[in-house]
Amino acid sequence: MIVLATALVPSVAIASTATAAGATHDPIAGTGSSWSANALDQWIRNVFDNYGWKVTYDNSGSSAGRAAFSQGTADFGVSEIPYALSGSDSPDLRPTRQFAYVPIVAGGTAFMYNLVIGGQRVTNLRLSGQTLANIFTGVITKWNDSAIAADNPKLTLPGITIVPVVRSDGSGTTAQLTSWMRSQFPAIWTAYCAKAGKAICGITSNYPIVPGSAFLGQQGSNGVAGQVALDKSVGAITYVEDSYALNARFPVAKVLNSAGYYTEPTASNVAVSLLAAVINNDANSPDYLTSQLGGVYSNADPRAYPLSSYSYMIIPTAVEGRFTTNKGLTLADFASYFLCEGQQQAEVLGYSPLPINLAAAGLAQIQKIPGGDPLNKDISRCNNPTFSTDGTNKLAATAPQPQECDKKGADQCLTGTGGAADVATASNSGSGTTVGGVGGSKSTNGPNGAGSSSGVVGLAGGGNPVIAGSPIDLPSRGLPLPTLLLMILAVLVALLAIVLPPLVARQRSAALANAPRGPTGRVVKRIRTRARLGGVRTVLTPKVHLPAFIRKGGRASRPTEDS
Amino acid sequence: MPTEPKTHTRVLEAELGTASDELATEVVAVVADFPRTLSAATDRPDIAFKWVARGSGTIVVSVMSLVGIFLLVQGFRAFHVAGPSFITEQSWDPNSGKFGIAAVLTGTVLVALTAIAFAFPLAIGTALYISEYSPLKIKNVLVTIVDLMAAVPSVVYGLWGVFFLSSNILPVSQWIATYLGWIPIFAVSGFDPNDPLATPTVFAASTFIAGIVVALMVAPIASSIMREVFTQAPIGEREGALALGATRWGMIRSVVLPFGRGGIIGGTMLGLGRALGETIAVYLIISPVFVIQPHILEKGANTISALIALRYNEASSFEISALMAAGLTLFLATLVVNFVASTIIARSRSGSQSD
Repeated sequence: MIVLATALVPSVAIASTATAAGATHDPIAGTGSSWSANALDQWIRNVFDNYGWKVTYDNSGSSAGRAAFSQGTADFGVSEIPYALSGSDSPDLRPTRQFAYVPIVAGGTAFMYNLVIGGQRVTNLRLSGQTLANIFTGVITKWNDSAIAADNPKLTLPGITIVPVVRSDGSGTTAQLTSWMRSQFPAIWTAYCAKAGKAICGITSNYPIVPGSAFLGQQGSNGVAGQVALDKSVGAITYVEDSYALNARFPVAKVLNSAGYYTEPTASNVAVSLLAAVINNDANSPDYLTSQLGGVYSNADPRAYPLSSYSYMIIPTAVEGRFTTNKGLTLADFASYFLCEGQQQAEVLGYSPLPINLAAAGLAQIQKIPGGDPLNKDISRCNNPTFSTDGTNKLAATAPQPQECDKKGADQCLTGTGGAADVATASNSGSGTTVGGVGGSKSTNGPNGAGSSSGVVGLAGGGNPVIAGSPIDLPSRGLPLPTLLLMILAVLVALLAIVLPPLVARQRSAALANAPRGPTGRVVKRIRTRARLGGVRTVLTPKVHLPAFIRKGGRASRPTEDS
Repeated sequence: MPTEPKTHTRVLEAELGTASDELATEVVAVVADFPRTLSAATDRPDIAFKWVARGSGTIVVSVMSLVGIFLLVQGFRAFHVAGPSFITEQSWDPNSGKFGIAAVLTGTVLVALTAIAFAFPLAIGTALYISEYSPLKIKNVLVTIVDLMAAVPSVVYGLWGVFFLSSNILPVSQWIATYLGWIPIFAVSGFDPNDPLATPTVFAASTFIAGIVVALMVAPIASSIMREVFTQAPIGEREGALALGATRWGMIRSVVLPFGRGGIIGGTMLGLGRALGETIAVYLIISPVFVIQPHILEKGANTISALIALRYNEASSFEISALMAAGLTLFLATLVVNFVASTIIARSRSGSQSD
């Protein structure tokens, strides 16, 4: 990767010397992805407070960002998807402006789930990529599917429906998930697309839902995370930025990488993964300057998280339209700030810092900005948390290795994940503590753990059931006779409560109407009580309903224009 | 108002006709006589007011037509590609040229009707209580509260719907589906009341939930229109009914409700107009589906305005054109509903007085 960066620098140096640096920091405006908006907003505040550079950002979506950049209304765009992406579902022509891509911030797509076994929340679910692809394409519909059981030898999974919760609005997270599925499991994804009735099947920002399936669409990352976190949503799983799972205090699934380890989307795992990302520098290629995440998806490092990706900033490389060298000065300095210094905050903001290869490539790209004179021209002065200023890759050396129990096999870690990291799945003392070790010789649970441990709900830790219990027959929902009778009784009581009072009142008033109008005991008494209660309106002598003929007459004699 | 002079002349002619039997020559002279031309002194403030009023009326109408024209121009490309299938196609995939509003338009109408089914009794009850029954002391407070409810932004109702209502209403949906599932609109496919492991999420994000939330938004508006009309019921007729011995409810039934019928219908239809266009609350709640979904309790709904809000962010230029075309249909539907509503209000007895 360093080779890549240095190879770029000479050609870039020529370009940057061609135009003089801008004189003042003019305000710049950008449009684009909401996925990266949290990080950008933070950086924009920081550079304004510290340097007084004015940057505005409108997070109206990746597609809007690409469109605004190519129309020239935005000085920079931010997008998860590059222009004219091969395999995208929408035609998206490259702009006539000259441009380059700069990686800005990385993140992992996490799978947040709500699964309860025997009244206890599962926090250590593990899933392979293929299983995930099958879940999000409706092939696997029950939690006790043998594929899920094979990934989780220590869980006795319940036979409840999987409810995949997907984004109902156009979203970069959806694009990242579909990009991964399309690249790794094209057959599964294509079959699903056809089933959902999509004619062009590619990377999409709008997740297709098959009508009548268990899929549920919700709006926004908060919407999907909130839906999964509901108590009633047991069995739901969604894809979301890791930070939303942390906020919801819910676990995320560990995903199997190509080294055979199940990993979590922590900041360091994502950064390690992205060490394998390459930027296409072949100017003749249709995907010129886009990233190739294929290497990330199949990164062989045991720490790698497969669904790692990053978003781009689209920057102009020539003075065109409204873009000036003064704006270029601001943009280059801003980019130089976030590629190095700004990455320090990435983890706090719920993202991952860019690893050395992407930061170096980005620094090379921003030197193409006309009028720019970035502070950090190469990684030697870059204060990025993933590497030292001397260019050594700190991240590759210090990122924690996965636990041995995360290796694919009969064993399974019991520690929690994501927002439920402090909640272990086994809470039972005694036998539960020993389960964390190697499964032992008694571990008879093969891939089909669900079937082999008969009648044990919860964890079956190598023959030592942590939560013991036996399935009982729930009463069928058909109504037993007493319930039915009580229901009918309740309906009758309700009906009487509605019907009786008016009937009684009518009888009484009829009786009163027929009574002689003299000061008889009853009527006079009634008048007195009303007088005391009513205050001003005292003269409502006996209440009488209008006789039918008066009512009819009154209505008929009404002027006809009252319609 | 314009009808009055006509009836006046008719009466005059009738009177003249009876008189003409005896004094024919004089009648001719009377007919030939021209009425004195009435001229009002138009001073500057009057002229200024006339032009300001006329100007703002013109601006409102032209802005409305410009919005319509804008939507038509923007959506023309989509109309051109889709052709008549724009009305009949259910799926929404503009990039492949296969898109139409059959599903979303049906969904819009269903959500609006569900909302009205809840809002109508609520609104009429509130309006009657406030105008007829409530003690004077709390009347103003109640009016303020209802008006305040109308002023609460719809996103607040939407958030309430998402984070509170949609999880707590599930047992109600489940109950209805279990015992009234034989009625086609309450049927829920994929729900088996005898399956203890069935997930209640089959009832989440449904037309029913979205309808209830929209109803809460619509009810205050409908209610304040109805209340306005009810309070205008002529005091003479009210007292007449009471004097004839009517109870308060008898009076309401024989005077207030017939008088306010126009207001009731008009208020409901204005509410319907708002329900059709309600965006944010629906957008937050529903799980969009692109088939005609007549089961209101079942997961999955869609409305035109929610579709626009959901798809706008990540839309290519042709998709935007398709969304504009869908927006135009919604614009026209809302316009028709509101126009009919205002006509009904204006033609009613109460409405003609309130104008």
